[in-house]
Amino acid sequence: MFNLLAHGGLGGWDEFIFVGVAVIFIIMMAISWVRSRNIEPEFDDERRPNMQDDDPASDHFKLN
Amino acid sequence: MKRLLWGVVFLLVVLSLPETASAHGYIVRAIPENRAVLERPPTRLQYWFSEALEPDFSSINLRNQSGEIIATGGISDTDNTLMTVRVPNDLPEGAYIVELRPAFASDGHVVAESRVFFVGEEVGGVAGQSASGQAVPLEVFWRVLVYTATLTLFGAFAGYGLIFVPAWGNKAFRAGLLPPRVMNRLNWIVGLALILVFLGNGLALIQQTMTFFGIGFTQALNQDFWSVVRIGSRFGDVWNFRMGFLLVVAAMFGASLYFRASQPETVRAFWVANTWMMALVIGTFSVLSHAAGSLTLPWLGIGIDWLHALAVGLWAGGLVVMVWVLPVALRPYDTEQRRQALLAVLRQFSRWAAACVFIVIATGLYSASNWIYSADDAATGFGLSLFVKILLVIVLVALGAVHHIALRPAQYARFSTLIKRLDGFLPTLRLEAIAVLAVLVAVGWLSATPVPVPDFAETEVETPGEIQTAFGYNVVMTISPGGPGVNTYDVNLSRDNVALDDLDIRLTMVNPSQDWRSPVHQLEAVDSGLYVTAADDIDQLGRWWTLMDVTGDDGDTTRFAFEWNISNEASVIQSRDLTLTNVIPLVLVVLALGWALYPAARWLYLRLDLSPLIVLVVFGATVITVLLIIVGGDMVSSTRERYDERLNPAPEIVNAVLPSQASLARGETLYAEYCIEWQSYSQDFRALRQRLDRIRDEELYSAIVDGWRTLPPCAERLTSFERWDLVNYIRTLQEFDS
Repeated sequence: MFNLLAHGGLGGWDEFIFVGVAVIFIIMMAISWVRSRNIEPEFDDERRPNMQDDDPASDHFKLN
Repeated sequence: MKRLLWGVVFLLVVLSLPETASAHGYIVRAIPENRAVLERPPTRLQYWFSEALEPDFSSINLRNQSGEIIATGGISDTDNTLMTVRVPNDLPEGAYIVELRPAFASDGHVVAESRVFFVGEEVGGVAGQSASGQAVPLEVFWRVLVYTATLTLFGAFAGYGLIFVPAWGNKAFRAGLLPPRVMNRLNWIVGLALILVFLGNGLALIQQTMTFFGIGFTQALNQDFWSVVRIGSRFGDVWNFRMGFLLVVAAMFGASLYFRASQPETVRAFWVANTWMMALVIGTFSVLSHAAGSLTLPWLGIGIDWLHALAVGLWAGGLVVMVWVLPVALRPYDTEQRRQALLAVLRQFSRWAAACVFIVIATGLYSASNWIYSADDAATGFGLSLFVKILLVIVLVALGAVHHIALRPAQYARFSTLIKRLDGFLPTLRLEAIAVLAVLVAVGWLSATPVPVPDFAETEVETPGEIQTAFGYNVVMTISPGGPGVNTYDVNLSRDNVALDDLDIRLTMVNPSQDWRSPVHQLEAVDSGLYVTAADDIDQLGRWWTLMDVTGDDGDTTRFAFEWNISNEASVIQSRDLTLTNVIPLVLVVLALGWALYPAARWLYLRLDLSPLIVLVVFGATVITVLLIIVGGDMVSSTRERYDERLNPAPEIVNAVLPSQASLARGETLYAEYCIEWQSYSQDFRALRQRLDRIRDEELYSAIVDGWRTLPPCAERLTSFERWDLVNYIRTLQEFDS
């Protein structure tokens, strides 16, 4: 097993876990990029059409 | 004035953030102990640390009373937590100083400390020096820079996707869904933080180079030095990964700027994606954190440290970015609209901040439980700073709870009086920011306070050792550390005070209660009568023998047999199981995570098809999978036990006589008197001698009592002890296949 991290101070499984976590996050990064690119977010006031921007209970304020 | 106030708050938050600036590992076992008074000189000095060390950048020197270096050593080839140095023979009586300069692989810290031992009598006025708890100023500086910039970057990217867009998003703005003035401010923050994070990491490499090589700043700028650290240490390995991740972050940020006009919809995608990459960057700090050197499940410690840093990043980093963005975002609005915009962003922030606070508390408690082992540890400076931090966190949580209630007046109508008293949010927001500052100052104080050295590391343990004198030989044997696991066997051999070199010495470890003996180890001759070897044959507690056969130039072999009681006290503690003080905060971590993830879990739950058939199938599949895992694990475990039992079953009768030279002599006499006729059965006798290395003592015992193949019984009239003497002697008749 080749050493990527910790200069051989780690065992094979440690290296696997390190690299595995990094790969998972990079995959998640790619997925989130594609989703954010193609799916627009829904805001609270869009989900509840009768809600106004200045509704005191609103969690969304459309910034202009 | 407001800007100045927030600026001061930010600066103080920043200054309070550096973590683990001066905390480091510690010695868990020392041979000899500090200030030990030894009757005779040791053959080697050994110091086991709580963490792995960097072999290329750690050193150990032995000085005599005059200050001259008389021996140098380094990290053991077989154990990177062990520093060892060979002591010259014939060390005269006096005081000796051991200079240790371990470089800890987990965080790159190098500390200098010295220990003292005496040969003969204790000498007054000679003392060692404990490790300094002072942080290196340049290290503090780069840590402040790097942590601040990293947490700000994470706060900016995560805050963008989780707080600003949900609170203020406007689809009219295609590039990032936020007004250009807000995006420009965010771009400015991220650009500045990126410059600082690269600058800080560059300084980190230079400072680490200065520390490892013990050189000045200007000299460390030379590529010949820093490139060695970059490619030759754990710090460098992780640094390379971190810089790679940061380059990806910078590239995606650059792409978001480049494409904002031509492909504006990619801006949000790049920002959201960068949250994941920044989480990885934060993870590289956890890999080099003190959690990596924890004796209790280091992987769990690293994971929880990472979670802690992510929660701090979203909470503190998000707060810092929000404070910078608010003035620009609210600029066009009048009083009521400002309030609405503020409420919207605060509600979004409050959800995440509340979850982050609970995660920070729970993970912080777990990390602390890794260093607090007893009530005595709680009474140290570390314990005091931890106590103060907990008090401040309670204040912060109370303030956060007030905001949480005030943001939801309909839900908490019974607190309407309290809500009215708030008179808007700004005064209490400032108070909350000050409380955050106070907590982070406490975090800085806590992390800069060296962890207490646990009691077990300070317990003095005697190294197993014995002197035997026979047949003109003077033999000194030590086993260090002397517990189950890898041990070093040192043998000093002399005759009439003259060191004996060039002898053939073979060592066998025997566990009589298991009737097990190790392969024969040939000792390596070092010099001046010292012979050494290292082996892991002693793998359990209890009574063990080491049988040493010394063969001189004349071909005569002399047996020295040593009996040891191997105990756990002599082991070097390299791991510790979870205790109740670890488990309680761990449960809190799980609860905090569950609470934080509940909305997402509920969102998922509402989208699941929960028809009875599907639920039944999933439930059944889960139960079957769990059962298979449990049954499979149990089968593997029991098969392994049966295999070990079959391979080396416990003997029905145990050898009760140490195979010493005296026992061999008695056995030889008994053999000549009772069993000499075996030699007339040349074929089977030879077969027996050829397989002695594979025959257990109880089988040999049975052979002399009941006979073996055509060999007749020869020890029926002997006592049990005499039979064992005979067994011990016959074992020396081993004949090897030519």
